Amino acid sequence: MIPNRLFMPNATQETVPPNGYKLLTLGHKVRILIEKKAVVRNIWLVLILLLSCVMTLGIGTMMISPKEVIAVVFGHGSPMSQFIVQDLRLPRLLAAVFTGAAFSLAGCLMQTMARNRLATPGIIGIDNAAMAFAVSSVVGMGLSIAPSAMALAGAATATALAFGLAGGSGTRGYRFIVAGIGIGAIAGAVTQLLLSQVSIDVANSAYPWTVGSLSARDPFMVHILGAGVAVCLVACLVFASQFALLPFSDQVITGLGANIKYIRIIALVLCITLTGLAVSVAGPVGLVALVGPEIARVLARYRGIPLVSSALTGALVMVIADLVGRTILSPIELPVGIVTAVVGGPYLIWILIKRSSRSSL
Amino acid sequence: MLKWFSVTPAQRPLPSVLMSALFVLTFCCVLSLLLGAGGLAPHASLLTLLGHGSADAEFTVFHLRLTRTLVGLFVGLTLGIAGALMQAVARNPLAEPGLLGVSAGSSFAVAMALVLGASTATLTVGIAQIGALIGCLCVIGTAKMQGQRNDPIRLVLAGAALSSLLLAMTSLILLFDQRAADEIRFWVTGSVAGRDTSTLISVLPSMLLALICILYTAKPLASLALGERVAIGLGHKPRRIRGIVIIAVALLVGAATAIAGPVAFIGLVVPFAARALVGPDIRRTLWLCLPLGPIIVITADIISRLVAQPAEMPLGVLTAIVGAPVLLFIVRSHRLPTL
Amino acid sequence: MTASAFQHTHSSSYARLEAEQLTLKHGKTTIIERLNVTLPEGQVTAIVGPNGCGKSTLLNGLSRVHAPSSGVVLLNGKDIHSLPSKEVARRLALLPQDTLAPDGITIEELIRFGRHPHQSALKQWAMNDQDAIDYALKAADLIGLKDRLLDTLSGGQRQRAWIAMSIAQETPLLLLDEPTSALDLGHQIEVFELIRTLSKQGKTLAMVVHDLPSACRYSDHIIAMKSGEILTQGSPKDIMTKELVRELYGVDCDLIPDPMTGSPILINIQRVRG
Repeated sequence: MIPNRLFMPNATQETVPPNGYKLLTLGHKVRILIEKKAVVRNIWLVLILLLSCVMTLGIGTMMISPKEVIAVVFGHGSPMSQFIVQDLRLPRLLAAVFTGAAFSLAGCLMQTMARNRLATPGIIGIDNAAMAFAVSSVVGMGLSIAPSAMALAGAATATALAFGLAGGSGTRGYRFIVAGIGIGAIAGAVTQLLLSQVSIDVANSAYPWTVGSLSARDPFMVHILGAGVAVCLVACLVFASQFALLPFSDQVITGLGANIKYIRIIALVLCITLTGLAVSVAGPVGLVALVGPEIARVLARYRGIPLVSSALTGALVMVIADLVGRTILSPIELPVGIVTAVVGGPYLIWILIKRSSRSSL
Repeated sequence: MLKWFSVTPAQRPLPSVLMSALFVLTFCCVLSLLLGAGGLAPHASLLTLLGHGSADAEFTVFHLRLTRTLVGLFVGLTLGIAGALMQAVARNPLAEPGLLGVSAGSSFAVAMALVLGASTATLTVGIAQIGALIGCLCVIGTAKMQGQRNDPIRLVLAGAALSSLLLAMTSLILLFDQRAADEIRFWVTGSVAGRDTSTLISVLPSMLLALICILYTAKPLASLALGERVAIGLGHKPRRIRGIVIIAVALLVGAATAIAGPVAFIGLVVPFAARALVGPDIRRTLWLCLPLGPIIVITADIISRLVAQPAEMPLGVLTAIVGAPVLLFIVRSHRLPTL
Repeated sequence: MTASAFQHTHSSSYARLEAEQLTLKHGKTTIIERLNVTLPEGQVTAIVGPNGCGKSTLLNGLSRVHAPSSGVVLLNGKDIHSLPSKEVARRLALLPQDTLAPDGITIEELIRFGRHPHQSALKQWAMNDQDAIDYALKAADLIGLKDRLLDTLSGGQRQRAWIAMSIAQETPLLLLDEPTSALDLGHQIEVFELIRTLSKQGKTLAMVVHDLPSACRYSDHIIAMKSGEILTQGSPKDIMTKELVRELYGVDCDLIPDPMTGSPILINIQRVRG
């Protein structure tokens, strides 16, 4: 529209990226900007995550040295430690990594969209509905379907209901969130009702589903969740520049030529998919979605929307929380949901108290 | 009667609205005595009520159903008033004890008490009230932080996060005590059935205290509705008013929760209905909440007895099913510009 | 790179924005009905009128933020809602009243968002992006502040940063909704002079303004609105009369030309009696 830029004297033919960014050029068409600091940050996070994974694989009733763990991972090691690491601890570790990443990424998206650090997928009813459905399966009042599948069905039902009641996402997804809170309340009440109708032993067997735990996971769902997290992460990267607009007001976003409704729906769909899948593996571990993105934001110094970092910090929090839950009161195993609540709780209160200093978010 | 529809809610004469509501309430109470899940037919109940029933029927009507109705009356009264007070003090139509974590605080305290050796039958009301107070204090923390842009959803989000935290803590406690877990799972469904009139008597002193608090703050609250600065300008002390109201809310919610377990959404629906009937002035809505709360709880209780015969649906489930759409409706109505 | 290297002459850019039979509603309330309006090219247009007359709604309608119930907004002769939103954003920039920004954003990062309509998922940075940003920084006199956080700036600086973001959008058209409301006198002048500078470079600008004398002083064309209708429009000197002020705001006043600039100023303002 303004061609004079092209006739600039002394214009360098080489494209200069903004400070602190690296430009990846592929042919003439593809130019992708990469924030150097974010890359460094994420590499560090991956390293720390790997380190804690190795530790987690080694620690337990039977201790295995990190060296042995690494040997096992590369196909060596004694049959005993191979069995413990590969068959017992690794599946659980993977479940922790995937659920943590999923919850945290979903939380980051939700918080960005609602411009509120307290907006987590945990309060929009998805996890409560998943809980109610899973519990109904455990206590034998639902159809004879596995709890994981029922949890997934519950998440889907809650989403459909919330969308139906809200009639769209509303400004900043608020309307959807409120509909979700309502549905969550109903689902919570139904869960209590179910638990009160059966014997205490049956109610106890439903316990993992009410607090969030990795012990009741279904291996098949873990695979699906892993694939889901990978797909959603890629989608987040593709839409990153659109999601970056979410904190602006609707008018600014429209003025910049982006379709706000479309961005919001994509963010919501990603959020719901991640939460639904994660809940069907681990039950409601909502506070990870609060803590993970928060750490990522602090690391990113509140610049931009740290999507990848959030996934990594979430995975890290979950891995460590599960390790603590398994070991701290051994032989009693604390569900991971309880550990995150105990750790995340004081943090939540701190946010509530501290929030006055930061006006938005 | 017809004249009511032609004027705005704020212009409707309070005494006549109040009288009609009392009439409806009486009707509900009688229905509550007549109808039930048991084998007693309504006409037999009516005969019993008039003094011609068998001993069995008398036990059902005067012992089971009357107690239940009284408990419903009390729970509706306290939760309705608590909701209205909370909404006035937070200046937020979505502020509801259940949504904001006050009930969850109460549950937490009750779980603690159970683990320490109490049982639901001998549970002291004070414990639940202290729990409610803790929940309230956390909420004030968030209410204080509402910036110039009064955003109703923020408070609800904070409350929801707080509730989920307190519930997780409750679960943690119960993990270590099977007996408490067994007891509390009945209590948390929220019900007015199978309670004892003696617990009702034991809460009376604290209710008296709550009443004094309300009488003291009703007028200042009305000016607080115009904004904090206006209230200061009119010579009130918002901080003190808020503190007193929070204590009243904690007493009310704690008492209701100790007796009936956490019953959500009553504090949302009742003031909402009251505002729709007589307008937003807190001095008028508070009066109307008195009969409206019991009407809604007793009606919900009657439905919960009838809908799943011969079993019963707990009150808490029913109020959640009724309350959630109301919540959404309030959000969708044009009153909230940020939505 | 010196700023003098960027002499903006928008002679080749073509930016005509007009509304035909435009009806805008808020829910069921009609704000504007069957309005016809054209923004004169290359000029600064000020939209004035009493509170609630539909100024901001009109601006939102013209900038496609508010979808019309009937009628069309034409950008260079084409229905603005039928064009791809990004294409519109390369021709028309909007500075709304409600400007929320992400936390912890610096001036330069904010301005970089102005390049959004020129970028895509695969083409995230082009040769002239940095030039446009540098130019916007220079034009809004923000070079020294470019690494400062937006939250730490004064109101006037912040508003200039937002305008700079619109400048970086490199559009021939710029619409501003009350760009100076909430600013003190000094900061108001800063913003108005920036608007004049942009106009000299050939941009077509339209702004909603509350202050009548400023509207007269800094615009070439005034659209006076009341109750969703255009009472009159034209150059400030031609249309500004005692009767118009009385009609718009219900006040009596006298108009005298500013001895220095000649633009009309209002004196002896009082409420209409009787």
